[in-house]
Amino acid sequence: MSDENFSAEAPVTGQGRMDVAWGANTGDESPEHGQAATTAQSGEIFEQHYTPWTGQLNPRWMRNWSILRHHLLGIFRKGHRPWTMPTRIFILIAFIASLADAGMTLLSGLVGSSEFHALFGVSRDNLYGHVLGFFPRNVLYYPLVAALLVGGVISEDRQHGTSALYFSRPVSRFDYVGMKFLSVALIQALVVLITYVLYFLAEVVAYGRGWAWMVDVFPMFLSGFLAGMLLIFTYTSIGLSLSSVSTGRFFPGIGLLAIVFGTKTLASIVKNLFDREILYLISPYDCVAHVGQAIIGTQTTYDQYSWTYSLVALVAMNALALYVLASRVASMEVTRE
Amino acid sequence: MEDEPIIQTTELTKAYGPHIALDNLNLSIPRGATGLLGQNGAGKSTFLKTILGLIQATSGDGSVLGYDIRSQGIEIRQRIGYMPEYDALNPDMDAIHQVRYSGELLGMNPVVAMNRAHEALQFVGIGEQRYREIGSFSTGMKQATKLACAIIHDPDLLIADEPSNGLDMKAREFMISTLNTMVNEANRSVLMASHLMDDVERVCENIILLHKGALAAQGKIEDLKAIDREIEIHVWGGATRLEERLTGQGFRVRREGRVMRIAHTEDDTTTAILQAAAEVGAQVRRMHEYEASLEDLFLAIMDNLGYSVKSSDDLLRSPIEARRVDAPESLGGGAS
Repeated sequence: MSDENFSAEAPVTGQGRMDVAWGANTGDESPEHGQAATTAQSGEIFEQHYTPWTGQLNPRWMRNWSILRHHLLGIFRKGHRPWTMPTRIFILIAFIASLADAGMTLLSGLVGSSEFHALFGVSRDNLYGHVLGFFPRNVLYYPLVAALLVGGVISEDRQHGTSALYFSRPVSRFDYVGMKFLSVALIQALVVLITYVLYFLAEVVAYGRGWAWMVDVFPMFLSGFLAGMLLIFTYTSIGLSLSSVSTGRFFPGIGLLAIVFGTKTLASIVKNLFDREILYLISPYDCVAHVGQAIIGTQTTYDQYSWTYSLVALVAMNALALYVLASRVASMEVTRE
Repeated sequence: MEDEPIIQTTELTKAYGPHIALDNLNLSIPRGATGLLGQNGAGKSTFLKTILGLIQATSGDGSVLGYDIRSQGIEIRQRIGYMPEYDALNPDMDAIHQVRYSGELLGMNPVVAMNRAHEALQFVGIGEQRYREIGSFSTGMKQATKLACAIIHDPDLLIADEPSNGLDMKAREFMISTLNTMVNEANRSVLMASHLMDDVERVCENIILLHKGALAAQGKIEDLKAIDREIEIHVWGGATRLEERLTGQGFRVRREGRVMRIAHTEDDTTTAILQAAAEVGAQVRRMHEYEASLEDLFLAIMDNLGYSVKSSDDLLRSPIEARRVDAPESLGGGAS
């Protein structure tokens, strides 16, 4: 429409109102057609383009490594498994606190006090105490670290449906659960066993221990290491079995703590009231401690029964936990959870 | 090689105790896009799990991309991309890292997986949001992320379970066009399970309809539609009389008010309709060949199977209804 139509001299025809009421009259007489103004071109930035990929997929070990890496690096870096901030902070606190005996050993070396060294330096009892001492390590550090770790490892896969991400890919259930188990166990090992090794090295550094001493003490050290592995294995298997039957991180964590501390408390009450120690066989911590005391060679806490009873109880507990874990993971769905 | 079916099954049966989840399935799915239809409980999920090699078939054989479903599940899952219907993403992770991890789980090197994650997320349209936490994503963006996870390794076959479920119009359009790009430009195959008939029709050339674990229909959508060609007429007055007359003459009539659809069985069906209308005094105001939609096809097939349903939603969306139809009697089913 030209500008002159809107000039002051243009006659008032009412054509505009007619057009609104009846529609434009273009095309009534001649075959030309009116065309609505096209919508403004906004510009297309996104261009969809499929890029093929011709690379080779790596074999099983690489897939398993990726699961392990995802969980382990998540403790330190963003972009991997998002462990919660409280979990990461508590692991750091537990790690530093677990190094207390190493620090004290270094200090005793600097001060040169033999009494101080007798209290904190490497000895049969102190090696036992580093991994299996009840207070503070197995009250404040290790079970809490285990509880925080196992809480969401499998249960959150159920909760978020991310199990489908694993099982719709060439990952078997054995590999899935195996790598999750190993991841949780390795993070615990960072707190329990790495600090144990550092404690041992602190003694070597602070007192200038030579090969003869190291070879002499090594069987004791190895026994403590094995006891630590047994502790980690037991906490992990019980914790993951609880995680596998849950869809949140709260129940497995609290459940593990309830089992560890509840059974221990019950065994203590029964022992004090009735002078019978048999109930310690239901306590995972007591059983590991008993076996640990036996293999390291310290004074056993429970002496009414042989340590082999504890070993059998431990095997039974772990077998039951692993059975629950395996059967629950086997039932995890791909199509819906 | 191009003509070989991507999925083939021979008398594939899966039973859970007395309940037959898949009943002697003989399928041959060609390359391209195929829709997998069926009620809830018809066996779609069982079928998908069986072809992924996640559960063992009770009897029968099958292959996916030439791999045996009984013994080569790992190889199958390496070559296909699976996009699950339900949430399968960690809400606390960034999209880019989630997609990269899904590539690593397939066996990709972390660096390569990261590169491909960028490409895949760009392709599905959320390249700009790739560093955002998935928990803050809309449903459409989550679906797109799941799709990116599924295509990171450039699979030969994409299995998409309800890809457009819960999406708004814009996101749905984008998902459909993305799947179309996968099929038409990238030349990949798609097996799409969906209850949205329009979406299936827009993406797929072929369909498979499962019912109670058995195959109800299989083939090209166009061919299957041709089975039930109909003439649609709009009648003014005497609709019931006309319906009775045509039914009496042996025509199959579907009627909704004064709109009727008469099965186009013979060449002179049109003449017969007009003649019948003249005889009963009904005015035929409009007459045209009715182009059936996939929805009509589905209803026709279900009708043949003895179900009187008004729309696919009745059966596809209602788990209660489906349970009533498909569950074994011991579990309270078998009522229909």
